[in-house]
Amino acid sequence: MAVNWLARLAAAAPAPVFTCIGPGIQAAVERLCLSPALDRVATPRAAAILLVAGEIPDHAQEALDRVHDQVPHPRQTFRWDGTGDPEPALRDLWRDLAAGGDTETDRRPDAPPNDWCGVGPHGQGGKGMMGGTPYGRPMAMTADDPRDGLALDAYTARLGPFVPMLPPGLVLEVTLQGDVIVSAEVRAAPFAQPDDASAPDFCAARMLRLVGLPRDADRVARGARLRAITALRAIPEGLGRHDGQDARGRLAGWLAGERGPEAAPALATLLPGLEWSEAMLVINSFSPATLAHVAISKEDA
Amino acid sequence: MILLLALALVVTLLGGVLVGGWLDRVVAGRGAGPLRAAAALAVRGSVRTEAPDDLLQRLAPILYLALAAVGLSVVPFAPGAALVESPVGIVIWGSCEALTIIAVFLHGWSPNAPFPLIGAYRYVAIALPVMLPSMFVLIAAALPAESLSLSAIVESQRDIWNVVRQPLGLPLFVMVGLTLTLRGPMDYADAADMAGGTSAEEGGGARLAWEIARLAMLVSVSAVAAAVFLGGPLGPVLPGPVWLWFKTAAVMALIVLAGTSVTRTTPSRMLGLIWTIVLPLSFLHLGIAGVLAL
Repeated sequence: MAVNWLARLAAAAPAPVFTCIGPGIQAAVERLCLSPALDRVATPRAAAILLVAGEIPDHAQEALDRVHDQVPHPRQTFRWDGTGDPEPALRDLWRDLAAGGDTETDRRPDAPPNDWCGVGPHGQGGKGMMGGTPYGRPMAMTADDPRDGLALDAYTARLGPFVPMLPPGLVLEVTLQGDVIVSAEVRAAPFAQPDDASAPDFCAARMLRLVGLPRDADRVARGARLRAITALRAIPEGLGRHDGQDARGRLAGWLAGERGPEAAPALATLLPGLEWSEAMLVINSFSPATLAHVAISKEDA
Repeated sequence: MILLLALALVVTLLGGVLVGGWLDRVVAGRGAGPLRAAAALAVRGSVRTEAPDDLLQRLAPILYLALAAVGLSVVPFAPGAALVESPVGIVIWGSCEALTIIAVFLHGWSPNAPFPLIGAYRYVAIALPVMLPSMFVLIAAALPAESLSLSAIVESQRDIWNVVRQPLGLPLFVMVGLTLTLRGPMDYADAADMAGGTSAEEGGGARLAWEIARLAMLVSVSAVAAAVFLGGPLGPVLPGPVWLWFKTAAVMALIVLAGTSVTRTTPSRMLGLIWTIVLPLSFLHLGIAGVLAL
């Protein structure tokens, strides 16, 4: 009966949920995840429940399936359309999963996304043993460094559309050297979100989570005041400057209850040269509404 | 006596991990208590990444936990009674600190995935220079004792605790503690901006082992701080181990609180702060302690 005892103990913990957010439902999901009954985890590997909120567009379906297959067994998908309170159902689901309930099988074949390409002396393309894209996975290859002249490995990866620190739907193709972004391209625009997702409290909360203040992020999202120290000064001055305001200034504005800037520059010009954590701060220093607009207008052009 | 001290070490680590988990919950104001959180991890499976380094993946939390245990072994539970009564206790603890960087790096290296790897390299860049202030602070505490033994350092605080005699020591050491336990402003390994960094590909039992090791290191670094700055087991009426436990718990609470209420800046800026402000400050601290000890 030790297993039963363990399952009961586990069921009393918050339900570990990874969220995949569709169009128009970001604020509702963020509000839901303030509940102490839920634990919004940063990676599908740490989840038991995949919360799919809203209608995921067709072009993001494959990515959703990939995320689904990364949730460890036993796992369940929970679909939510934004109406009603899903918390009791999520709690029940977690209780079943903690007791080793039914699980879902993989949605995608466990096979490489591309063929081995068979080019060059080792078959993977690229030069020598480096570079190339064997099985569709880009290998690191040295390239000129934009920062200090050290020729480090450049590594290209596609991020999104369900990475927790990016706006839902945004797919970025970034080339990294170490943690410095060499180039960035928007492959898919963020899903459209109504104005409530760009509310100052929620925008500020997203930035506070990035700088290691989850407790204050929750507090601010609930409309209470920030208590942590050095929250603004921790963000480097001049970072992501646009229209005379930097990321620190935009966070200060949100914390003061002002709605975000109306326009954002193209991410492809803003991100290169930034370190990873700086880039995440810059992206999150623009409201979802602004970012969606920028990316779409860039695609139209 | 050795058996009793070994038992005290195990009890301290186990009890400390539970207290640490509980403190995390109380200070964060949400989440589950330590037992429920552990059970929630234990009932979940884990997913294997593509071509991970299995051996190193298992070794990382074991190494981290072992370093916490070895570090704690030089801390005296009663005056003159540490499990490892070494004349160079500070050096043993210092090597545990430095090797923690290896444990965290292995944890980020082994899953063969981008976010863990970036977290691993970022942590090394930050944690290596943090080791320097740590050594200066510990050597400063060893000066009045004229010994590198932790028991001697405790003995030297019979009249006045080091936290009073060397006021900069504890705050600097809290920074070291935050680094060694991957917390708040010094958590460049498992941070939210990389979806959990070195832990981004981990769930279930493997994550549980990592979290236990992190909490064990919190216990050890707090116990060392209690011995070096707060007189360790010295105190009236109550027996030595009880005083050490109280003081350790107090330092743990301080580190947990600092971890949740101080903001993390960007890594390159933190690196600049460490080299240009923290390091000279710790050197000044050592200089003042040296002059006072003459």
